[in-house]
Amino acid sequence: MASSVSHLDPMPKVSIRAADDTVAAQALGLAFGSAEQRDDTLVVRIRPDEWILLGTGALALAAELDLSGYASTVDITHARHVIRVTGTHAADTLAKLCSADFDEAMTPNGAAWGNSIAGVTCDIVRDDHGGERSYLLLFDGSFVAYFLGVLEDAAGEFSSDS
Amino acid sequence: MLLVPCPNCGPRNAADLSYNGESHARPDPTTCTPEDWRTYLYLRDNPSGWLRESWYCSSGCRKHFTIERHTLTGELRTPILPGSKPGATKGETK
Repeated sequence: MASSVSHLDPMPKVSIRAADDTVAAQALGLAFGSAEQRDDTLVVRIRPDEWILLGTGALALAAELDLSGYASTVDITHARHVIRVTGTHAADTLAKLCSADFDEAMTPNGAAWGNSIAGVTCDIVRDDHGGERSYLLLFDGSFVAYFLGVLEDAAGEFSSDS
Repeated sequence: MLLVPCPNCGPRNAADLSYNGESHARPDPTTCTPEDWRTYLYLRDNPSGWLRESWYCSSGCRKHFTIERHTLTGELRTPILPGSKPGATKGETK
């Protein structure tokens, strides 16, 4: 498959803000800009003081956290949407719309960062499946129609390879 | 394209950040004169050379930081997060 675009919602999502010295930050761990699959939840440290939990176990994992100190959780399941772009040309598709470097050396599997794609501020997570390149894109729900349109248009350029 | 070295994210396209303008020390509003406050609000140095500026990494780490930019060459150096010391950064400093 050259490049496919799929809308994954409703996928449970939780945003966690926590200062470095809090129990919650220690429990979540991870280096800034990386992601890790823990059981049925993808844990993403998307900013120095913010984690995003994705997947069916997100709410349960967030509920277990000790929120003492400067720490908070917000259920963003319906505020933000997730689109997965998968395929051998997934990086080429996104490179048409985004200034990020999608080279393996810069953004290997498990990398996570914020960027603008087609003018939409997104959080991007490299989350390969079955050895195939795949990216999760998180963005504000109000952009769904526009964002799906531009992604499918960009992916269409590579459809002849499929 | 201007590459701005964010202290957290590393070199980023300037389009991914917001430019906040010259970075000034804020005077104490309870003790400064109206002239000092007006200078702080409205007057800019606009030098021909190195200028300390404030930027916001709006698409990346969503942190404000300061950086020095040469207004003639566009060269950027010494990005600093609030409360940090010069050199304590991950970004490229040239």
